[in-house]
Amino acid sequence: MTNLAVKGLNKRFGGLHVLKGVSFEIDGPELIGLIGPNGAGKTTLTNILDGAIKPNSGTVYLNKQRIDQLPPYEVARAGLGRTFQVTRSFRRMTVLENLFVPALALNRGHSREEIAQKALEVLEFLTIDHLRNEYAQALSGGQQKLLELGRLLMLDPEIVILDEPFAGVHPRLMEVIYRYIERVNGAGKAIILISHQMDSIFTLCRRLLVLNYGDLIADGIPDDVKRDPAVIEAYLGADEEESNGEQGGRAQS
Amino acid sequence: MKKHHTPQLAGVALIAFFALFPFIYSAGDYDYIMHIAITGFFYAILASSWSMLAGYAGQFSFGHIGFMGVGAYTTALFCHYLYLSPEPTNICTEFLIGEQYLILVNPIGVTSSTLTQDCLRQALSIWDGSVQITPMPVWLGIILGTIMGGIFGLLIGLLVLRLRAAYLALFTLGFAEILRATISAEILITRGQAGIELPHLFDNGITLFGHAFTRTDKLPPYFAMFFLLLLCLGILAWLAKSKFGLFVRALREDQDAAAALGVNTTRYKVLVFVITTMMAAAAGAMQAHYVGIITPNNLFLLQMSLVVAMAVIGGVENFVAAAIGAIVIEFVLEMLRNSFDIGGITVDMTIWRLVIFGILLMLTLRFSRNGLILPLIEHFTRGHVAKETVAKRAAGASS
Ligand SMILES: Nc1ncnc2c1ncn2[C@@H]1O[C@H](COP(=O)(O)OP(=O)(O)OP(=O)(O)O)[C@@H](O)[C@H]1O
Ligand SMILES: [Mg+2]
Repeated sequence: MTNLAVKGLNKRFGGLHVLKGVSFEIDGPELIGLIGPNGAGKTTLTNILDGAIKPNSGTVYLNKQRIDQLPPYEVARAGLGRTFQVTRSFRRMTVLENLFVPALALNRGHSREEIAQKALEVLEFLTIDHLRNEYAQALSGGQQKLLELGRLLMLDPEIVILDEPFAGVHPRLMEVIYRYIERVNGAGKAIILISHQMDSIFTLCRRLLVLNYGDLIADGIPDDVKRDPAVIEAYLGADEEESNGEQGGRAQS
Repeated sequence: MKKHHTPQLAGVALIAFFALFPFIYSAGDYDYIMHIAITGFFYAILASSWSMLAGYAGQFSFGHIGFMGVGAYTTALFCHYLYLSPEPTNICTEFLIGEQYLILVNPIGVTSSTLTQDCLRQALSIWDGSVQITPMPVWLGIILGTIMGGIFGLLIGLLVLRLRAAYLALFTLGFAEILRATISAEILITRGQAGIELPHLFDNGITLFGHAFTRTDKLPPYFAMFFLLLLCLGILAWLAKSKFGLFVRALREDQDAAAALGVNTTRYKVLVFVITTMMAAAAGAMQAHYVGIITPNNLFLLQMSLVVAMAVIGGVENFVAAAIGAIVIEFVLEMLRNSFDIGGITVDMTIWRLVIFGILLMLTLRFSRNGLILPLIEHFTRGHVAKETVAKRAAGASS
């Protein structure tokens, strides 16, 4: 059973205290929404969990193994995968080659044929198999998001963190991403979903974490969180303006 | 899916052509043409290994010519300062190894030999021909040069780990220039601008195909360099299609994403440095023995630009294209040497050819970013992809 234990994470960027003693625990195949206003520290938390940046203090254990001091590639092998808020496909490599990278990096002793077969199945599932031999740079923004999910399916980690998977995605592709989440969660993996799209969050998630400028101000089932006065004040109450502002911010990145 | 064998067939035909060329060609300028070919092979090793480093792995190093120099100077110093003798000189630093004495000749810099002689020359004149000394084997020097290139590659690779793009280019450029300046300045040991003479590749001649060749014949070094090129291309081909090739390309595209997907980016970044610098060093060592002298001028930035230009004009993202580009350009540059007269004005092509070359480079960068040879290869290997995608999409839409 997957277990992620985050204890007292602190992160400072110069004078900016971005994470202030964040603690929570994930047990088993949970589907958790991580929400909070822009600049709340969601991506920073992802980067710490994934090993890309080191916390100033605090610990992260994945299945009893301490991972907060490991380099990202070891964290990935230990069973934590993530997508990036701004897509990062290997642009001048084909779609299939993009999928081969995590499969071969894991070195689980599968033959090339087995890996190729799995990759084709994944691409079909994500409805981009007709693009398999195209360079990733030939894919649309939404298709590149699917490609990132495809790479994660090949990595097949115990815990997946999806940083804004729905941003800039057409409803039809959204459908595919929903199916991806069902598939991975159904296979017994935990998912942390970061999103500003409240309907998706409330439809999918059975537990919410609310981050507000470094403080984890709520952790509970969606109905409770929705009614939490602190959350309403910090985030949900200002939902309309938030999502408008967020649109603008996204266009820049 | 249809398989396209055209590039493979072309490759086999090219190898066969170069393997037979020395036996077929028989014009009066045989030695000259062979010399160009050997130099072309030398540049082909540099350009193709650099294309693995820069084109595949995205590490735009300008130190490649420096590593070439490390290989050349390692074997030069090795052959210049070490000898084996059955008798002790009693004036040199020497170590008894088995039956023989390993003589370490003292450096005397560039002085008139009548004023100061190194300890071995003094001993030899005392012995007056009664003792036969043995020089170091050339092949051992080349191997040591290759290893030394790898050690330098490892150190530089570790130092540039955190540097990206322009900073890495500047750092490696700095390394190459410091190396050249050091070699120029350290006259006592490296003989500075005077350069170090090296024994020829086959100093005592060699018998091949039942024919005795002297040390100045071109055929033995032709095949030595040709086989070194084939060896390097073979290793590069194997690397390119193994997971190494996949990972270094992922590294080029997005280092953080590759790491997040489980790729040990540090290891592959250092590895690609070590492997490609060893190739540059091996080529440098062999070329130095072929030419018979190495000077710091061989390490000039101009040489590096030539290697970069060859790879870029061939196609930097494919090591075969880079290698072919190097050979073709070496030939074209030599062919363009012939100066001519237009209405009484002499056009000095030894200078103008570089201008033409520069213009070709600029045109390539502007109009064919993938080089001139790579698009040909891609035409055969990837030409079907677009059709395939369209066909699949049409099939998907109708179903
Ligand atoms: N590398 C960095 N250096 C300095 N400050 C940083 C760095 N990364 C993030 N920050 C700051 O940390 C804060 C949290 O950023 P983070 O990206 O984690 O927010 P977020 O919750 O993901 O926001 P969004 O919803 O807009 O994606 C911001 O104020 C940001 O400016
Ligand atoms: Mg973010």
